[in-house]
Amino acid sequence: MSNRMLRLAFLLPILHALPALAQTEYFESKVRPLLDRNCAVCHGPKSRMGGLDFTTSASITAAKPRLLDVVGYLGKVKMPPAGRLKDTDIGILREWLASGGPVPQQSAAPAKSPRPTLWSTIPPEPVPVPVVKDTQWPRTEIDKFVLSRMDAKGLRPVQAADKRTLLRRATFDLTGLPPTEAEMSAFLSDPAPGAFEKVIDRLLDSPRYAERWARHWLDVARYADSTGTDEDHRYPHAWRYRDYVIDSFRRDLPYNQFVMEQIAGDLLPAPPGEALNTRGIVATGFLALGPKLLVDEDRVKIIYDIVDEQIEVMSRGILGLTIACARCHDHKTDPISTRDYYSLASIFASTKQVGDMSERVIKLFTVPLVPQRDAAAWTAHQKQVTAKEQEITLVRNKVSSARLVRLRPHLAGYLIAAHQVYAGGASLDATAQSASLDKIALQRMVDYLKPDGERKPHLEAWHKADAAAIPTLAHDYQRRFEATQQARAVELDVWRNAVATAKQAGRTPPEMPRYFTGDDRFLSEVNSGSTGPFALPANEAEAAPLIPDEAKAQLLRLKAELAALKQSGPRQPPMACAVAEGDRVDQRVFIRGSHEAKGDPVAKAFPAVLTTQQPQITSGSGRLELARWLGSSGNPLTARVIVNRVWHWHFGQGIVRTPSNFGFTGEAPTHPELLDWLALQFAADGWSIKKLHRRIMLSSVYQLSSQPMESQRDRDPENRLITHFNRRRLEAEELRDALLSLDGSLDLTMGGTLQSGEGTDDFSTKRLSFSPEESKRRTVYLPLRRSNVPTSLMLFDFGDATTTMELRNQTNIAPQALYLMNSPFVAARAETIAKQLLTSAASDADRIRSAWLRIVNAPAAATDVDDALTFLRSYPRGNAEQSWKSYVRALIASNDFLYIR
Amino acid sequence: MTHRIPSRRDLLRYSACGFGALGLAAMLDAADPRQALAAKPSHFAPRAKRVIFLFMHGGPSHLDTFDPKDKLTADHGKPLPFQAPPAFAGNQLGKLLKSPWEFRRRGQSGIPVSELFPNVATCADDLCILRSMVGDSVAHGGALMELHTGSFTFTRPSMGSWVAYGLGSENQNLPAFLTLKPPLGHGGAKNWSSAFLPAYYQGTPVGYGGSKADELMNNPIEHLQPIGQTTEQQRFELDMVQKMNRRKATPSDPELEARIQSFELAFRMQAEAPGVFDISRESAATQKLYGLDQAHTREFGWQCLMARRLTERGVRFVQCSHTYYPGNDVGWDAHNELIRLHTKTASHVDVPIAGLLKDLKSRGLLKDTLVLWGGEFGRTPVAQAGDGRDHNPYGYTMWMAGAGVKPGFIYGATDDYGYHAVQDRMHIHDLHATLLHLLGLDHLRLTYPYAGRNFRLTDVAGNVAHKMCA
Repeated sequence: MSNRMLRLAFLLPILHALPALAQTEYFESKVRPLLDRNCAVCHGPKSRMGGLDFTTSASITAAKPRLLDVVGYLGKVKMPPAGRLKDTDIGILREWLASGGPVPQQSAAPAKSPRPTLWSTIPPEPVPVPVVKDTQWPRTEIDKFVLSRMDAKGLRPVQAADKRTLLRRATFDLTGLPPTEAEMSAFLSDPAPGAFEKVIDRLLDSPRYAERWARHWLDVARYADSTGTDEDHRYPHAWRYRDYVIDSFRRDLPYNQFVMEQIAGDLLPAPPGEALNTRGIVATGFLALGPKLLVDEDRVKIIYDIVDEQIEVMSRGILGLTIACARCHDHKTDPISTRDYYSLASIFASTKQVGDMSERVIKLFTVPLVPQRDAAAWTAHQKQVTAKEQEITLVRNKVSSARLVRLRPHLAGYLIAAHQVYAGGASLDATAQSASLDKIALQRMVDYLKPDGERKPHLEAWHKADAAAIPTLAHDYQRRFEATQQARAVELDVWRNAVATAKQAGRTPPEMPRYFTGDDRFLSEVNSGSTGPFALPANEAEAAPLIPDEAKAQLLRLKAELAALKQSGPRQPPMACAVAEGDRVDQRVFIRGSHEAKGDPVAKAFPAVLTTQQPQITSGSGRLELARWLGSSGNPLTARVIVNRVWHWHFGQGIVRTPSNFGFTGEAPTHPELLDWLALQFAADGWSIKKLHRRIMLSSVYQLSSQPMESQRDRDPENRLITHFNRRRLEAEELRDALLSLDGSLDLTMGGTLQSGEGTDDFSTKRLSFSPEESKRRTVYLPLRRSNVPTSLMLFDFGDATTTMELRNQTNIAPQALYLMNSPFVAARAETIAKQLLTSAASDADRIRSAWLRIVNAPAAATDVDDALTFLRSYPRGNAEQSWKSYVRALIASNDFLYIR
Repeated sequence: MTHRIPSRRDLLRYSACGFGALGLAAMLDAADPRQALAAKPSHFAPRAKRVIFLFMHGGPSHLDTFDPKDKLTADHGKPLPFQAPPAFAGNQLGKLLKSPWEFRRRGQSGIPVSELFPNVATCADDLCILRSMVGDSVAHGGALMELHTGSFTFTRPSMGSWVAYGLGSENQNLPAFLTLKPPLGHGGAKNWSSAFLPAYYQGTPVGYGGSKADELMNNPIEHLQPIGQTTEQQRFELDMVQKMNRRKATPSDPELEARIQSFELAFRMQAEAPGVFDISRESAATQKLYGLDQAHTREFGWQCLMARRLTERGVRFVQCSHTYYPGNDVGWDAHNELIRLHTKTASHVDVPIAGLLKDLKSRGLLKDTLVLWGGEFGRTPVAQAGDGRDHNPYGYTMWMAGAGVKPGFIYGATDDYGYHAVQDRMHIHDLHATLLHLLGLDHLRLTYPYAGRNFRLTDVAGNVAHKMCA
């Protein structure tokens, strides 16, 4: 390397001296061909990786500062990735740069072909409601939009669903639970034209509505109670965010406010009379509760991965754009550049994301939901508790080490005696007594030395020795032991001196040595003050007789003090996993997404294609400005995206069938005018989600039968024009909650958390997550560990709670069938229901009819009753309860229960 | 009609954008479990039909097993002559530490294997040693996820899921991808999840790290056994379900037909699986071959024997993990006490692995089964805490054996001390590309559309290491 530099140094003055024309020629003849040949495949007009196009002067200029590092393979970014350039080529670049690196303008730059405009970036315009010939079928404006599309294709809507089907559909849709028999008969016996509207209002008023629809949003917010990825630490306060979402749906918080709070609630004014906007702080859990890598040497990368994750959930969740694609290169299809990406990244990078980063596993950031003063009082008290706990440990350690010091001069005696006991079959008590040894220590030495079938290299010599050789060996060990002790003392002295000298000289002191001359595993284990045979046993009861009275009294006193301290002190204030304002970052574009390759500086801003008025963010992170912009009609997407989501959740298909992707790779809307009309109405309605539900559900199209017209299938096989309602399978939560509700055991307690503790559970089976079988609460309240989403939820396409989810899959897998056939949870529900049916005095036929009404919300036909009676009669080798249980489970496994029609 | 799974038209559109034809076929099948797991043609003639991955959680030291370094021995106790790359333990690292084990050249090929693997050493001529592995993460969590899914930042499908997605299953009565006693930490279920691929392709766990083989033999898979019902009673119940479902289904309604089929598949799976997990019919000699007769080899031996039994029955991807967790006092993660921990851990797996290789060979299965062995990284040539070694993702060893790889071959090399891979570097992406290649799959064409773009196991990287392919 140095040789090469020397050679190049000779050349420098020559090029410097050349006139401008010659410099241009040098560039065009040497440099440009080199860049074209080696770089332009990736950094050309097509790929523009890292935002660089080496056919433009701007990109070449931008790349200059780091060019030599990168092509010289000196830093982390090594280009070209396929192999280092030849030395002569690097020399050419070096010469050119040393001469100032002039970049002549290229005269005939190829004109870029203009991209088509992305439809979703054009703000919605008021559209007239179409006029349709049929005046009977349309109940609402929505119907006219839908019908006019059908008319254009010569399609007709199918007939309306019957009232039973409609009530079941609406009840599951709005509450995630089946209708009760009483609700069903009330609706059936209400002939008024407004009967269904009454039902909708009743359901929207129910807290069950908020639980169900909050869960939809929690899919978008990729909500979970742990960090996932490597360490999967618990988020101890995540549940407050979940409860916040439920509460927001319950009170029909205007959606724009809901969005603003989740991005910057901590920066919105506190309610009158309150010191803190606690609700707003909790709301930022939307940003804070993503998956996080907690261990990585590269701390900057940790932060920018979090930032990336937040851009992803914000942009796909709220804007329906895949902006995170532009982290490493300009978006391949959508009008989003790396500059747009890093303008947003700048906002989130200036936000406080994580707690203490000084240890290997970084700490989570939590925010107390009380004024600073009260929070400080608690922290101070926690310190006192820790200090008291340390005092207790200290006393115990003192006792333990005194015991160690007293016993270890007799090591040889213990070794010999232990051998006699485990190898010679001598009695422990007698041996201890005759050799005047401590019985407990001897017992522990026996346990330690006794071979247990595992290979232990450090004890091999001992185990191989003949009985006759044992005493010599034991004394040999003791001598080595003492020598090691002395060596350790000496080496520790040397170390202490070194520390003192280093401190004086202002150098970093050396770390305490962990290993010493002569040290080996045998001796260090025997010498262990915590687990060795001479140590105080960890078990309290075992240790008690070995603790001297004085220390015992001391421990008693300290423990009482600790208890009193814990009792007296302030309680832990409520906390939230949230974000806050952080240090303001002056962001640059990271070339190819690497923070080690910095490009142009960018301002804090919104994606250029979505706004004509960029904000001037002169202080703070810019989150507040971003939140206000997201929650306004000033961007073309927020309202469109949410009305489409709500439509999707009602119909099982969106007007845009990729609800989180309104870009070129997403689908175009099936009813673009309807989408815009709904978006504008929604904003005019004060961004009310409940009004949107009413608007949608009162339409004729929502109330259609799910039975398609066979004659129309071929013309619209995917039902894009919504000629019929889409049948759907129950979602994971609906299945569990409905089963619990059917046997009457569903616990409707709201809010709070079932998770306890912090951090991880190491590697124990606790990681298997909270089992849905452990609780009878609604599924939305079960804690979710990202590393192990419970099987019964996973099986039914719950998703992984790790990336923002636009829609749930609807798979049909055999393990679902196994779950219905064999899970104890389903069996228990079936058994309870069977018992309840059997205690009614009715006939078997009546019981069958009752089971149908209860489980599938539909009357049993005569053939169904006959089949069931035959089943019960001929059930092989079972009593009534068994056959009934089996029949109930069959009903649960039937499509009539599992599908919403 | 199943609108939540990309529709036919989506697929045609994706395919117009170069979406691989195989992916297309698989997507069209996604609605129907019979099709989704049916065996599918590969992109080109496969060398291997199935994979057994012997995962050594914790990171075995390549320097003490398959990558001897004379220079390291010679310079024992001296400082590393170059700047060490970032390590997990930061500044705790000390001087060069020679391997305490002796290496001997084995078999016709003369591949050196250390004393730690006396039994695997007898299979040296079947091994293709990959000495130039490279990963990106010095921490277990990241490294496990990268090895299993190709990414440690995002949730991505596991390699087993990609293989199941690409090739389907040869046995319709068993899951296509099983993982035996996987570790629950360091990514946990993410390491066998299908992520955005349809749920059929997710790994089915059999127990977890810490489960006891003797308990798993009777109840290997969740919800597999009827409770409180005989098979006869259950069949009777199932017939009732099917009768109710059939009455409402129409021929033009494949979704409901698929559900009917899924119950039948479940029933068959339930019938077949217990027999697969019943090893009592294996001869005493076979059990001994895998070390089931010894306490310290019984656990991993059972996993290896199960791997053979499952692959024999057409399961596409089987993973056996030797796991460690704080407190169990065994495992490859020897930050200190290299000698004790590696001696003990190797003794748990050596006999079972050799047993598996020999058994596969004698049954003719090694011809079309690919065995992959290794951990999430190797270990440093410098000592940590005096007598241990730290994590080293910069250059380490894995090995393959069986279908499609050169037997008795050494691919790639690390530097004189075994710190960095310097020759034929094999990044984890390259390993994945090569593994898929051996299975007849082009890693560039095995894609799945998600979140607006097509994803693949190898992200935007990966080169097939043709030199090591037979």
